[in-house]
Amino acid sequence: MADHAAAAVVAHAAHDPNIGSTGLDNRKVGMWAFLGSDCMFFGSLIGTYLAYKGKSISGPLPHQVFDIPLTSYSAALLLASSLTMVLGLSALQESRVKKAAMWLFVTAMLGLHFVLNQVYEFTTFVLHHDLKLSTSLFGSSFFVLTGFHGAHVTGGVIWLLILVMLAMRGKLDARDYTKVEIAGLYWHFVDIVWIAIFTVIYLIP
Amino acid sequence: MADHQAVAVATHGGGSGHATVRIYVHVAIVLAIITALEVATLYVPGIPGPVLVISLLVMSAVKFFLVVGFFMHLKYDHPVMRALFVGPLIIAIAIILAVMALFSAFVLLPRVVL
Amino acid sequence: MATQAAFMHGSKAETETFWGTVWSWLTTVDHKRIGILYGTSAFIFFLVGGIEALIMRLQLARPDNTLVGAERFNELFTMHGTTMIFLAVMPLSAAFFNYMIPLMIGARDVAFPRLNALSYWIFLSGALFLNSSWLFGLAPDGGWFGYANLTTAQFSPRHTIDFWMLGLQILGLSSMLAGFNFLVTIINMRAPGMTLMRMPVFIWMSFVTQFLLVLAFPAITVALILLMFDRFFGTLFYAPAAGADPLLWQHLFWIFGHPEVYILILPAMGIVSEVLPTFARKPLFGAPVVIYSGILIGFFGFGVWSHHMFSVGMGPVADAAFSISTMLIAVPTGVKILNWIGTLWGGSIRFKTPIYFSLGFIAMFTMGGLSGVMHASPPVDLQQTDSYFVVAHFHYVLFGGSIFGLFSGIYYWWPKITGKLLDEKLGLWHFWAMLVGFNMTFFPQHYLGLIGMPRRIYTYAPDLGWNFWNLVSTVGSFLIAVSLLFFIANVIRSLRYGAVAGNDPWDARTLEWAIPSPPPVYNFARIPHVQDRDDFWLTKYGDGHGGAPRPKGAPVTAAEIAAIHMPPTSFWPLLLALAVAVMISGLMISMVQVAIGGLLTLWLMYKFAVELHRPAAGHGH
Repeated sequence: MADHAAAAVVAHAAHDPNIGSTGLDNRKVGMWAFLGSDCMFFGSLIGTYLAYKGKSISGPLPHQVFDIPLTSYSAALLLASSLTMVLGLSALQESRVKKAAMWLFVTAMLGLHFVLNQVYEFTTFVLHHDLKLSTSLFGSSFFVLTGFHGAHVTGGVIWLLILVMLAMRGKLDARDYTKVEIAGLYWHFVDIVWIAIFTVIYLIP
Repeated sequence: MADHQAVAVATHGGGSGHATVRIYVHVAIVLAIITALEVATLYVPGIPGPVLVISLLVMSAVKFFLVVGFFMHLKYDHPVMRALFVGPLIIAIAIILAVMALFSAFVLLPRVVL
Repeated sequence: MATQAAFMHGSKAETETFWGTVWSWLTTVDHKRIGILYGTSAFIFFLVGGIEALIMRLQLARPDNTLVGAERFNELFTMHGTTMIFLAVMPLSAAFFNYMIPLMIGARDVAFPRLNALSYWIFLSGALFLNSSWLFGLAPDGGWFGYANLTTAQFSPRHTIDFWMLGLQILGLSSMLAGFNFLVTIINMRAPGMTLMRMPVFIWMSFVTQFLLVLAFPAITVALILLMFDRFFGTLFYAPAAGADPLLWQHLFWIFGHPEVYILILPAMGIVSEVLPTFARKPLFGAPVVIYSGILIGFFGFGVWSHHMFSVGMGPVADAAFSISTMLIAVPTGVKILNWIGTLWGGSIRFKTPIYFSLGFIAMFTMGGLSGVMHASPPVDLQQTDSYFVVAHFHYVLFGGSIFGLFSGIYYWWPKITGKLLDEKLGLWHFWAMLVGFNMTFFPQHYLGLIGMPRRIYTYAPDLGWNFWNLVSTVGSFLIAVSLLFFIANVIRSLRYGAVAGNDPWDARTLEWAIPSPPPVYNFARIPHVQDRDDFWLTKYGDGHGGAPRPKGAPVTAAEIAAIHMPPTSFWPLLLALAVAVMISGLMISMVQVAIGGLLTLWLMYKFAVELHRPAAGHGH
């Protein structure tokens, strides 16, 4: 029975070199492996932040500088962008390329809005609260952790805009479902990392 | 057409089901509600520290797994994908907790100061 | 044959000229060629690291010696360790991952061939970048483990640490990309019928190793990022004056560092698990148990890291916890050794060079494991740590273990890779000289450590009683060097006049021996259908329970071969690797270089990604 299925998959795989003997797409498996690895990356950064929490010897304290309303709004932006992302993927599956491109563009814009909020937040910290990378352990660990998250978001925005561009040029359609799907997986991951950061860094006192 | 179908089958990687747009929207609404609850919890007057922390962690965990399960489709996907993500996630969380303990983020390990 | 090779590796015109051949190697995406690139580079860096060791041993041969001074000695032990770990053992393992994994699972290539090439070129850039530090007189000098806050700008103001820090980031990127590639390959590209438990044990050990790679390297990436920000941007992660804890570096480093040593040993264990059954003509004893042990070692390897830190004052609870976990992890390791011995027991053993090295592995690794178990006890370790006892321990497991295991693999798979046999006599000269030389070098170091000789000292006083055994150790190290001359002579001789190997010179058990030596570019004319572990053996001899050998299928037709589709060559991996190196190295030169390198990297990533996005008609599937 298993061998029958295996033979069928072999025949199928002959058509698409990305599909393996398990019936799974290599790129999707690869992306999940990468996301697992990225868990360790952010885990190390979050661990560093928590190790140093409350140990700064000078400089402003978290509760003195955090703008919870703004940060909550940013969290909502990313959650919304995850929704628009799956809507875009759904549209692509139905071969509605223009609609998919629109949703992907909205996702990218929501992500860009998030990044701009981060830039605003960082600027406020530096200029109004005198909190810089070099001010204290809090400054160092906060900016590096959220900065790398922001860099991940920025990378995702660029990726999505490239997909939008390809779609507008007629070079993206339902055949590319997996490529857009893995972009989506990356995007959602960036969202869930923010769920963790938002709670652990901003909300928990 | 057969090709298209083959592509569709392949691209769903043997997944046993698929969330619909309706489910996605519902999940998004739940996520928004939980986020609002999280922020509201912060402003509950006199809430004891541990209660606050635990409820925030639980709420964010629910959000986390909703996004992973539905938006990232892991609920419907081949177990291999689940293993590739959940294993490293467990190791990462264990290491965060170990590092916190080693740095006395919670008073678990009395430390010798030389 | 020429047309076939040309079709696969570049146009006919290209491969017939010298520069055409060079270009075909620079743009290759063939896992076999990439494996050869890794192996050759690794061996060269092994010699570089060896020379660094010989200079240290010459300096330590006599007390109060003046061959090199303290600063230079710091550079030597830093570069020796970094080179051996990241530029020799790991890429040598990678050479086998690259060459053997697709062959042993019945695949035509890895999951992402261009990413594979990218991994190699990034590795080479990192290796050259790191070693270029010698040319600038700025070789890293903070130890291979770069403890903060010695490595911060305050105490290491010169660029020495920057070379090390940025070099490791580049190398780490290479390792992780390769890790993802092999993970997907092993999960998704096995031949039909090859369930996970039917995979060869080398594949299993490699599988676990890839998980370790992709999960451990992020920790050192973060540790190095924090150091980078401290050195370049003024953050305070490793600044005790600002309240920072120097132990942060140590924890993050060893969270990587301990899984790293399993990354270094598991592939060699996998090799031994293939060589012993072949030359004992018996299946691996308790193969599932060996597999589960490998998985346990990999998983629990993340829970022992602070046994490298027993002397820093973590407190009794932490010390005890990590001591217990470390002693526990010795169990699956010991189990494997018993399984290997069980494989030999009752076997019909043919003594050829590969099995000599595997036997050497078992003996030497066991000795290293014994000293390791001693270290697992914090009170005992407090005497041993930072002494030559530790140096002896890790050389027994890394050299006696990994290097002997890797040489076993080299002698075992050389015929498959080159189509020629290595000479047995020269092989045995190599083995015995290396075994004796190795033990002469490192066994006395157990004693030297216990009578008080610390690590990383560039000289010592004459009246401490260390003179004689240091001299013995030095003589041993030169005997190791001599043994390598036998190996090099063997290699040259084999490539020139070696006997033709044929498909299956060892009468072996796994799929790679079913195809020609060297394999055609597409590996398998027809993807095999696997029915059991050691499937090839069963096709030759039946199942040993009276079943006949499996009937051969119809002969492979030219049409079948013509229908095989191999990925074309590509120059984007090479260019992208260069851009990444320019970007990362720019961090210690100028932000303009970082910006240019960064933009180039982004643009090249885009070109890399869309290269095969809409393939031209004719390549289509």
